[in-house]
Amino acid sequence: MDFSVVIQQLINALTLGSMYSLVAVGFTLFFGVIDLINFAHGEIYMLGAFVGLITVGFFAGTGMLASHFILVLFIVLIVAMVVSGLAGAIIERAIIRPMRGASDLMMLLLTLGVSIIIREGVMIFYPNGANPQAFPDLFPGGSVNLMGIVLKYEQMFVIGFALLMVLLLHVLVNKTKYGRYMLAISQDREAAMMMGIDINKIITFTFIVGSALGAAGGVMNGMYYNIIKFNMGFLIGIKGFSAAVVGGLGNIYGAIVGGFLLGFLEMFAAAFIPGGSQYQDVIGFAIVILFLVFKPSGIFNEKVYEKV
Amino acid sequence: MLALKNVMTHYGSIRVLRNMNMTAGKGEITCLLGSNGAGKTTTIKTIIGLVKPSEGEVLFEGQRIDNLNTPQIVQKGIAIVPEGRRVFPKLSVEDNLLIGACMIDDKKRIEKNLLKSYELFPRLGERKTQVAGTLSGGEQQMLAMCRALMSEPKLLLMDEPSLGLAPILIKEIFDTIVRINKEDGTTILLIEQNAHKAIAIADRVYVLQKGEIVMESHGEDTLSKERIENAYLHKTVDKAV
Repeated sequence: MDFSVVIQQLINALTLGSMYSLVAVGFTLFFGVIDLINFAHGEIYMLGAFVGLITVGFFAGTGMLASHFILVLFIVLIVAMVVSGLAGAIIERAIIRPMRGASDLMMLLLTLGVSIIIREGVMIFYPNGANPQAFPDLFPGGSVNLMGIVLKYEQMFVIGFALLMVLLLHVLVNKTKYGRYMLAISQDREAAMMMGIDINKIITFTFIVGSALGAAGGVMNGMYYNIIKFNMGFLIGIKGFSAAVVGGLGNIYGAIVGGFLLGFLEMFAAAFIPGGSQYQDVIGFAIVILFLVFKPSGIFNEKVYEKV
Repeated sequence: MLALKNVMTHYGSIRVLRNMNMTAGKGEITCLLGSNGAGKTTTIKTIIGLVKPSEGEVLFEGQRIDNLNTPQIVQKGIAIVPEGRRVFPKLSVEDNLLIGACMIDDKKRIEKNLLKSYELFPRLGERKTQVAGTLSGGEQQMLAMCRALMSEPKLLLMDEPSLGLAPILIKEIFDTIVRINKEDGTTILLIEQNAHKAIAIADRVYVLQKGEIVMESHGEDTLSKERIENAYLHKTVDKAV
């Protein structure tokens, strides 16, 4: 087997894994602070992609796409992250908070309902929303060719931006008081309340952060594949959740590792197993099932949920 | 400083506190005794706002606080050392303390309070980067106390601080309670099963039984303190037999 092919697939896997990780982090954050598995999170990813597309459309007439494409890239990402972050905050504030304390099954169904509303809403209200939408190619054509390994600009950007987000998240969680409060709430919510932490504020904040990261993943999906669709959030939602479970639900670093792991497994299955690309998703989910059966606490050994 | 007036608290349809009347005087150590299930922890939860009383009033410095939420109540100057310590197990000792100071914005004051914690219990200073979950029970209790003190409370609620600790540590904890009370003038409401020790340091004693205050004494009324001690210990013995 050619070594450069392996490296090539590695880069492709990193790109895919970047998107999975950004989505998985949201699942793990929400689960951490309110024990919620938020199945509407995949739709936030889709929403991010559509907001990104609208923002790109805004710039399309100005000619800036060609002259200042790096600036446009960042603006598109930031607008998508802000809008989706707010959407996440609204979902938390208006729909999830009033239902807090309901059974886990109720909450699960609730978020599934929200996901259907967002998905079908985009299909109905976005012009021609039922069909796939072309996401303009924002990058100047071309790639870096290193000893036979093709490194596309898109890939470099996706991987680089995802790493930047991971780094920022790490700083936020470990070096700021908001991060400290998030960790405290995830470890003992009642004790955090007793210390005077305004847990509602922190929970909303967590939804903003998680949703913004998911939206960044969605925009990257659009930039990379140049096509987005109203139902793209469904599969990525399940995959992001799977990645979070593999890493250990509730553990941020676990989610990141889980996301990249899933990306690698899928990419390599597609590349090296004959006919594997058809079974890409099957292999990814099979791994998740194996984890659920044999190591439900995930790679990072986050405790299987227990309450004193 | 703190007064409960005719407080009733329910969990669903189960009444836990009935016509509760008690006062914690400014600068005093008030002790609330009672056996398991008497409603001691519920009393604390009612004061701190985790449970809302269905009737009656909770007054702090003359103002009603039973309609406030927990962060607002903490903001008023009430801090708690919860039952079972409840330190944040995966955060470092120092991060735990910083969370106790979440109501304070002034970095210098936070720094000063940190140093004070480490002075109160040097062992915490030695372990400030250690994760709290790996501390011993006694160290966790010290941490829980210091974490509460980080907010510079006027009133400190302590829920069974001696539970599960070795006698030598219990002595250290009680000495510190007295020290906090005498040196900083912090008012303390102490909930205990360890009646003997608690009565010895208390200015006021209440005995809670099935959600009702059945006995009280305060000031230098040593006679009634003794009576409480006898009655309470007697009851405990009765139960054990």
